Amino acid sequence: MVSTVDEPSMVFIARHDLKMSAGKLAVQCSHAAVSCTLNARKTHARLVERWRNAGARKICLRADDLATLQRLAGQAQAAGLVTHLVKDAGHTEVPPGTVTVLGIGPAPRRAIDALVSELKPY
Amino acid sequence: MGLRSFLHRITAPPLSGEQMNEPCKMVCVVNQSLKMGKGKIAAQVGHGAVMATMKAGVERPAHLEQWFTTGQKKVCLKGRDAEHLLELEQQAKAAGILTTFVHDAGHTQIPSGSLTVLALGPEIEATLEEITGELKLL
Repeated sequence: MVSTVDEPSMVFIARHDLKMSAGKLAVQCSHAAVSCTLNARKTHARLVERWRNAGARKICLRADDLATLQRLAGQAQAAGLVTHLVKDAGHTEVPPGTVTVLGIGPAPRRAIDALVSELKPY
Repeated sequence: MGLRSFLHRITAPPLSGEQMNEPCKMVCVVNQSLKMGKGKIAAQVGHGAVMATMKAGVERPAHLEQWFTTGQKKVCLKGRDAEHLLELEQQAKAAGILTTFVHDAGHTQIPSGSLTVLALGPEIEATLEEITGELKLL
């Protein structure tokens, strides 16, 4: 396999304890994707272009609870990465204001792996 | 389009005569015949949403603006298979709706090049519902 270690990546970390449906999960992750991309364009423009040109890699991992999301968000911000916590409007499935997904990136893959290596794919 | 012009475009005031009052949404139709896992679907829909947003910044700035101000509503629906997605795309295009296909790179789960998601919009909700009203929620 070709080494893709340096290619930028985006990661979604979703709360497994909320037991969201596939559609709900997809929508929450795409909120994170759009917000992270637009925010990153302001601060990390070249990285965003590199990420998109390399196929805009995205992966979805699972976390057990809100505390894990908040801890990872803090660590990612401390490492200078773009993050976005998605709060649901609560029209369906979960109460309003519930934090559902943490988006990180686009960021160098190594920086992301350092944060989320212990998480499993959703 | 360069970054600077993209930002100018999405932050500029709406062009006169293009203002909208109705809320806009984005619909992602997922190819159910591929039997993708939940995380896989989420990533594919994420691709669709980002691509559609970028495309709308160039082709439908007024719709994009309205979509942002009405809460970036997104809905995920079930599509039968690739033919069904192609059929919907034709109908949507004929109705003047912005359409975006997502093809998978095939690193995991499914063959490379599979048509996974059709993103429609951002578009006025009523216009979208004429095309997607029959589809079930994912």
